[in-house]
Amino acid sequence: MEYGKLFLVGILQAALIMLTAPLLDGISRRVRARMHSRRGCSIFQTYYDLFKLLKREQTVPPQASWLFTTTPYILVAILLLLAMIIPSITLISPLGLVGDLFAVLYLMALIRFFFSLSGLDSGSTFAAAGSSREMMLAVLMEPAMIMVMLTLALLTGSSNLGIISTQVASGQISLLNPAFGIGLIAFFLATAVETGKLPFDLAEAEQELQEGPLTEYSGRGLALMKLALLMKQVIVIALFVALFLPFGGAANLSLGSLIWGTVIFLGKLLVFYVLLAFVENAVARYRIADVTTITSLSFGISLISFVFYLVAS
Amino acid sequence: MTTLPIVNSLSVLLILTSLSVVESRRLKVSAYFYSAQSLVLISIFLTLAILSEAEQLYLWSVTALVTKAFLVPFILLRVIRTTGVIEEEPPLIRTTWSLLLAAVMVGIAFVLVQPFHLFAVLKYKTALAVSLAHFLLGLHCMITRRNALKQLLGFCLMENGSHLTLAIMAYNVPKLVEIGILTDAVFGVLIMSLIAKKLHDAFGSMDASQLKMLKG
Repeated sequence: MEYGKLFLVGILQAALIMLTAPLLDGISRRVRARMHSRRGCSIFQTYYDLFKLLKREQTVPPQASWLFTTTPYILVAILLLLAMIIPSITLISPLGLVGDLFAVLYLMALIRFFFSLSGLDSGSTFAAAGSSREMMLAVLMEPAMIMVMLTLALLTGSSNLGIISTQVASGQISLLNPAFGIGLIAFFLATAVETGKLPFDLAEAEQELQEGPLTEYSGRGLALMKLALLMKQVIVIALFVALFLPFGGAANLSLGSLIWGTVIFLGKLLVFYVLLAFVENAVARYRIADVTTITSLSFGISLISFVFYLVAS
Repeated sequence: MTTLPIVNSLSVLLILTSLSVVESRRLKVSAYFYSAQSLVLISIFLTLAILSEAEQLYLWSVTALVTKAFLVPFILLRVIRTTGVIEEEPPLIRTTWSLLLAAVMVGIAFVLVQPFHLFAVLKYKTALAVSLAHFLLGLHCMITRRNALKQLLGFCLMENGSHLTLAIMAYNVPKLVEIGILTDAVFGVLIMSLIAKKLHDAFGSMDASQLKMLKG
């Protein structure tokens, strides 16, 4: 396998996800405006917002430490790494050596860790409340995700994302397999919670907590944090697509199949975002206490998926 | 043999719909999910009928369509409308534990199915295990829910489970048996929903755990 070329593809993927994340957000804003019978802003509005924030001066709370100022960079760096690891336009993981389910899981936990730590570090009460919610969400959501990933890894006999994607896309694991089908539903619920879109907009909760851990950020730091949150949404959806719906990804590294894979990947993202926008406008936010029901539902379904793997063969 | 994975995945859908019936707090939603589940059951019957060329199953699916998908939900919705009870009382155990129990039940059902490997039904192992798990789920719904209508739905789930078992293991029993079972179920539902309505008239709620006040 040509590692050099794969590495280039990985960088391409990271750039693609970073550059399209604000565009997708702009599209979902436009869809929301249309549903409110407004004309809405340009779909490039999120880029304008981010550029404007980048030019503004950054203020730092007096009691904050170095963590507060470095967290935005750390988050964006981890997310770029994740974007390189997860096979989105290809079927094989561009960083084959670390393209592992558990690496992805721990990197996502690391994002959570820094995100909530920055909120605590800023010393604002709103930020602290957002941080504690973020950690609570992690505690509730991770068992279900780990369970589904474990089942998938056992089904394919490998924890490498690329191998899983390839096997699913080639039909070695059929969509009709009970464990796979139920796992898909459980992971879909987990994905919905992880994106932090409206019914599960708990840690940032604009109207209630004034964007939670982001409360004290301004200027460049805020721009990077916002970019990180937008990228996280794309990456969570990309992970779901890579594990469960990798059909149409590029099987080899020829230019034609790479372009085709990119187009299909963007199409899938667009479908997901439009669906999420519809859901976002149809529902109200959950209270944090009610989220336990959704997460336990997801965990229960993932457990049933595991049982199906264990006993049905 | 192409229908085998279809039967298995449809039976998985059966488990998911029955979980929704058990876990949704709104009675109307539960009734609709029960109707949807009956449609899944009917599609399993049709698939089996095409696969094993069992003429009987066509008749089964027609009768099941009339009774399970339309008649039983209709009776339930009528009771819900006349009494005006929208939500059930909080169940005895929480959703988390309920789902864990469901997973354990599926496991137990698979273990129970193992001894059947001598018969030809083993190729429908998943479907057979699901039908058993379904029966257990219905039992679980009847035991842990306090609302009379929810207990009635649990009974219907048990009935669906036993129906699937029958369709897989003995699809060539005489028509009379099948008709007998279905009328049994419909009259059972009718009588129980009447009792639930009486309960509501007497106490103003459908909480079956208050029945102890009826003595004397």
